Amino acid sequence: MSFFARFARNRGALAGLIILGLIMLMAALAPILFPESPWRMVQRPFLAPFEVDGFWLGTDTMGRNVAAGLMHGAWVSLLIGLVSTAVALVIGVPLGAVAGYHGGLIDDALMRFTEFFQTIPNFALAIVLVAIMQPSVTSIVVAIALVSWPPVARLVRAEFLSLRHREYVEAARLIGQSNTTIILRQILPNTLSPIIVLASLMVATAILLESALSFLGLGDPNVMSWGYMIGAARTVIRQAWWLSFFPGLAILLTVLALNLVGEGLDDALNPRLTRKRHQESAT
Amino acid sequence: MKMPFIAALAGLSLLNSSVISAQEGNDQTPQHGGVIDTIIQPEPPGLVLGMIQNAPTRTVAGNIYEGLLRYTTDLEPTPQLAESWDVSDDGLTYTFHLRDDVTWHDGEPFTAEDVVFSADVFHRELNPSARAVLQHVETIEAADDHTVVFTLKQPFGPFLLSFEAGTFTMVPEHIYAGTDFRENEANNHPIGTGPFEFESWDRGTVIKLTRNEDYYQDDLPYLDGINWHIIPDGASRAIAYENGTVDVLPYGTVENFDIPRLTAMDNTCVSDKGHEYFSPFAMLWMNNREGPTADKRFRQAVMYAMDREFARDVLWNGMGKVPLGAFGSNARFQNESLSPYDHNPDRARELLDDMGYDGEEVTLLPLPYGETWNRWAEAVQQNLKEVGINVRTEATDVGGWNQRLGDWDFDLAFTYLYQYGDPALGISRTYLSDNIEKGSPWNNVEGYENAEVDDLFARAATAHPDSEREALYHDVQEILQEDVPVGWLLELGFPTIYRCNVKNLITSGVGVNDGFKDAWIDQ
Amino acid sequence: MLYARLILMRLLKAIVVLLLIIVFNFVLIQLAPGDPAAILAGEAGASDEQFLQQLRERFGLDQPLYVQLWEYVSGIATLDFGYSYRQQMPVLDLILERLPATLLLTGTAFVLSLGLGILAGAMAAKRAKRVSGSVIMAIALLFYATPLFWVALMAVVLFSVYLDWLPAYGMFTVGAELTGWAHVLDVAKHLILPATTLGLFFMAIYTRMTRAPMLDAAQQDFVKTARAKGLKSGVIQRRHILRNALLPIITLAGLQAGQMVGGAILTETVFAWPGIGRLMYEALMQRDYNLLLGIFFFSAALVILFNIVTDLVYRLADPRIKEAT
Repeated sequence: MSFFARFARNRGALAGLIILGLIMLMAALAPILFPESPWRMVQRPFLAPFEVDGFWLGTDTMGRNVAAGLMHGAWVSLLIGLVSTAVALVIGVPLGAVAGYHGGLIDDALMRFTEFFQTIPNFALAIVLVAIMQPSVTSIVVAIALVSWPPVARLVRAEFLSLRHREYVEAARLIGQSNTTIILRQILPNTLSPIIVLASLMVATAILLESALSFLGLGDPNVMSWGYMIGAARTVIRQAWWLSFFPGLAILLTVLALNLVGEGLDDALNPRLTRKRHQESAT
Repeated sequence: MKMPFIAALAGLSLLNSSVISAQEGNDQTPQHGGVIDTIIQPEPPGLVLGMIQNAPTRTVAGNIYEGLLRYTTDLEPTPQLAESWDVSDDGLTYTFHLRDDVTWHDGEPFTAEDVVFSADVFHRELNPSARAVLQHVETIEAADDHTVVFTLKQPFGPFLLSFEAGTFTMVPEHIYAGTDFRENEANNHPIGTGPFEFESWDRGTVIKLTRNEDYYQDDLPYLDGINWHIIPDGASRAIAYENGTVDVLPYGTVENFDIPRLTAMDNTCVSDKGHEYFSPFAMLWMNNREGPTADKRFRQAVMYAMDREFARDVLWNGMGKVPLGAFGSNARFQNESLSPYDHNPDRARELLDDMGYDGEEVTLLPLPYGETWNRWAEAVQQNLKEVGINVRTEATDVGGWNQRLGDWDFDLAFTYLYQYGDPALGISRTYLSDNIEKGSPWNNVEGYENAEVDDLFARAATAHPDSEREALYHDVQEILQEDVPVGWLLELGFPTIYRCNVKNLITSGVGVNDGFKDAWIDQ
Repeated sequence: MLYARLILMRLLKAIVVLLLIIVFNFVLIQLAPGDPAAILAGEAGASDEQFLQQLRERFGLDQPLYVQLWEYVSGIATLDFGYSYRQQMPVLDLILERLPATLLLTGTAFVLSLGLGILAGAMAAKRAKRVSGSVIMAIALLFYATPLFWVALMAVVLFSVYLDWLPAYGMFTVGAELTGWAHVLDVAKHLILPATTLGLFFMAIYTRMTRAPMLDAAQQDFVKTARAKGLKSGVIQRRHILRNALLPIITLAGLQAGQMVGGAILTETVFAWPGIGRLMYEALMQRDYNLLLGIFFFSAALVILFNIVTDLVYRLADPRIKEAT
């Protein structure tokens, strides 16, 4: 059975993929459908959805178009999710690989280091980091990445630990391949599928984290993200439900879709090992 | 582009019509009894006024401590701890006659020695805003147990405005003299002369004050106590009023966007009185030292580009005033003949063309004090972008904001300053060149230097009588209007929201800061 | 004997980690712009050099950094966590005052999410082929994907504002002066919304984590054997399947118990719950270094404690494990 066929057998995953595709389409179409800045005050404030033609989702506290904000926000939220996950992988994968491959003292030292990061509550650390660097897209991405790499390192290490004594690895060692080559060429490709699954979940978590930071007022004031929209709308949630409802829904759907896709990938990539890994990666 | 919907905004400004006169209810007979539940936001760092001048400390402790004088909503001084006062003809000697029936909360009598100690020792050591006034004072002496004489070095016009409880707090000599003030045990249980005594402070939850049974004014206060609830989230604070947990929302405790909904509730009154003494004035710092903002034409362009009416109507519920220039309407000596900066994007573009603005990026720091200020920064950023100014907003928290302003690391930055009723107290500090010093966000942060302005302000502060001061201040306003050292955004109007059966709540120019003294509940 | 030695070793390790965390956090906080003196002065609306200098001297901020660090660390050795600059109280007092509230909130949320999560997961596994099972999983997924603060806001609007069933904020009714059972009941009422909000996300995770291994376990040989022996399906479920599924859940529960302090920041802010999550955020914004460090110390200590407890529980649940780490 092909990869896609296995993926598509999970109907939830297929739905997730479709939702995700739509959200990406939203992000891509934003500059075409709403070429003006989403910050532009274009109509009367607090227009309810469908109250005025052309403003299907209404306007916000300052008369900005919610639909424009939502579309532009899709791009920002996805970007922050993807980039911070990529940065977390860049930190976590090498660390986990080295620890798992070498074992012994190196492993011990690196794992203590990882545990150290896990000892400080995640969200608290993220807040402190953003406060130190002062809110901007860069500082948010860095902060999210810095708090989310430990699970990657642990996962990769576990994979390496179980793979490093496999016959093909021993064989590579015998023919004199360098450690770097073995790590990159032999073992890493075999750990890719659980990493991909974990990464898809991490993108979702990163989007949630960014929205929580924005909610506390630690967002970047120059980009219209969904988290910003909810944070800004929280004070008017009683008079204008739609202002926090739509971006909230957008976050929910995106996170949901990413999770569904993650599960589908898991099923498709690791038909047998799926369950076990779920337990490890969820932490 | 002129926005087509400004007319519709008038509907949002419903507050103007529903503002109730603070004096209403005076003709009824006050009733004793009842505890008022209200909110303090944020939680104060301590309650010893004089040691701490933060707004929340002033609000709570202004009911525990008192000053020599109290001020009406027109900023006329009225008796408090001082029964009467005389000013010599040369404006150099101020004699205060104190009440002889005042006791501290611990039972000790209040005397002239307490006044001398508070002013000459305690405030000189601890209180920067009192220090600014004290530099004009030569000696402070107790003539007898109930008479205090202040002798000034030179006349100082606003001197009589400086005796408000939060600025010149009377603290007990018998408790603080000879101790390390900041380490004094009594700081955890403040002792004043005010109508309410400190009862308890459950950190993060509530501060309780109870009635001072031995208060020197018969019958006062009417209330049995005040509970100041501490609720960190703005939406929860609004709900606390809606579900009846609290009955009074002092200014600044709920987000502006909640105000129309709350004021529409039954049995709810609003007052825009009670901040005349502070007259908070929102301004836009513009760095006069470097970058495009160093050019006067750029600063004028910013003034023309901003739609300040929009900000007032949409963000501040139509409360407050768009200022004419550097002097607010509550300040004395405003020059009303100045030509105003109206919203005129075309004029702004002309000025930018004229100076040859090349699109250099300017940074904008919002004030990290809540959602309204963030929205305001977004609106200004958008206004400036419309006329072609390349603005980037840089978010900071309070610590970052302080540091950036103290280091002069900004192009444009939001702030608001108290005017304290007189230009020599609250306005000149922003423009005097000898007030340029790194490290503080409250002095001449923008770096404006103009010898003529320095001279006019200096002469006006010590001129005598007032007619002479007025002439000098009118001249200085002409210069400032042309130079635009800072952007003048809005004279803020902060509403106090309360149940209508709470009577006589706002009776002074500092509002709830000392207003519970006269308040009573119609049961 | 073995346990005693193990615990001792873990505690020694914990002390080293805590020490590192103190140093790390100390340095980290110094990097943040502004200092407590400037913030206090800034809030006062007026300041001069003398004022700032006085405050910095008083806080010891005029000392070189390494001196400050040394004094802080040696203070902690004698359980002296210093003085909060802003609240003008000993840090330890402040934390001990707020900690019970957070423990009550997170503890309730923890028990709630663990109990309901496992229950829902077990039900979903048992009904894997039925609609009801899918519905449970769909709901769990929904909770999992919803922003926490959003749920909190919605819950307040629905249950406190429109329905007026539950109090919207705070830990008890101020001014009511309740005692005894009436007080307990009052706190319980205030606890429902924040604890549920905080628990939802974790509940979703536990539901998913229970269902998957239970489905797996049901396919495994020992369960088939048990079934062949004629044991009733209820007994099988309880004794064999659930027990197997429990191990990874314990691991996760331990980790999450530690993380709940961090997660409580949002919940405590929205519900005005007087706990240390909120205290931490305020301390950070006010650059109240001592207080912030103290809170970090305590929450890290809690995480480590939970890790040790997890290990012990793990061993109890599965005697086969000798050396886990």
